Amino acid sequence: MSDSTQAERFQQLAMPHMDAAYNLARWLTGNSHDAEDVTQEAFLRAFRFFGSFRGEDARTWLLTIVRNTYYTQYRKARSRDESTEFNEDLHSLDDGGSLPAMGRADGDPLSIVGRADDLRLLDQALQELPEDYREALVLREVEDLSYKEIAATMAVPMGTVMSRLARGRELLMKTFQRLGGEHHEPRQAAIRRIR
Amino acid sequence: MNLGKQQSDGSASGPFTYYRAPATLRRRIRAAISRAESPRPAWWRNLGWMGPAIGFACASLMTANVLILASIPSKQERLAEDVLGSHLRAMMTERAIDVESSEQHTVKPWYAGKLDFSPPVTDFAREGFALAGGRVDYVDGRTVAALVYRHRRHVIDVFVWPAQGAGASQLVQRRGYNIVHWKRDGLAYWAASDVEAVELRRLETLIEAAGAM
Repeated sequence: MSDSTQAERFQQLAMPHMDAAYNLARWLTGNSHDAEDVTQEAFLRAFRFFGSFRGEDARTWLLTIVRNTYYTQYRKARSRDESTEFNEDLHSLDDGGSLPAMGRADGDPLSIVGRADDLRLLDQALQELPEDYREALVLREVEDLSYKEIAATMAVPMGTVMSRLARGRELLMKTFQRLGGEHHEPRQAAIRRIR
Repeated sequence: MNLGKQQSDGSASGPFTYYRAPATLRRRIRAAISRAESPRPAWWRNLGWMGPAIGFACASLMTANVLILASIPSKQERLAEDVLGSHLRAMMTERAIDVESSEQHTVKPWYAGKLDFSPPVTDFAREGFALAGGRVDYVDGRTVAALVYRHRRHVIDVFVWPAQGAGASQLVQRRGYNIVHWKRDGLAYWAASDVEAVELRRLETLIEAAGAM
């Protein structure tokens, strides 16, 4: 196989997933500038290692490279480690010590379809979550990957994916409440709905 | 748990924002990938050199107004850019000098362990070109000597490395900088600075005279 067909194959295979790659990078970095850098670096890496691509799911493969790029290159350059930031919601949850119930789909904060304000707050709440939870939730709720695909992308067992998702949802709800409950009275209605 | 997630065509909207790759990023990545593949042999490279030739012609036209000797071959063009780049980098990083000495008997031996040739090192302080020191640099795919001279408040880098052949001295002007190139006794010399061209020529004459002694 010549190099030019290799490049063509790569373009055909990888380019359709650029939105997915960028979306994950955007959620991980929290801003568009860094997200573009991470995406571009990830695509160049993917192209370099295209020879090792064994025909598995291209989107999962690319997303794995995006997150690896983020964790190995981008994040290393940042002195601030957001996952170690003090987070009231996290600590109160940890102190409780109980794993969130897995099957509580009805208590899912994501099931709200509210006003623009609420959606904006949901975005903000998700962005504030620690990386592990945020990443799992983005892959599941924004990118719509299956548990199996998330496990492959994050290189963790399926059980870890499920507990991260469950705990992530719990944290998300608490964060959302904190963000929304502080300012406006009318938002209480939306919060009650998600409980 | 199904959130009425948006579909991949973006028609529906989930609770969270789905960030789509900007068109500019798409273009940039495509360009970066085609650049990444271009050094490798590919079928289209056999079509000929029309593309690069046209690009080079355009670049030449654009730089023609600052090029005094338009007859300098392309290899020399590239070297002039390399040399000027090294000079400018050294100025910017304040790492212009690895061995700081006006004493030629200090500078010359310093090169002995670092280069596979021995550059002529002479101080011309009395003539107005004080030897400030030297460094090793990287030009044209090899390690070269860079001698640093001071002339009034200006810094002059003289790059030296082994080269075949001989040629008349040439002057190139780029972005307000002067570059003088000559060859002698199996060594290529490239002097780069923001001093007047006539001053660079004077230094060239001094170095040549010292070498002839």
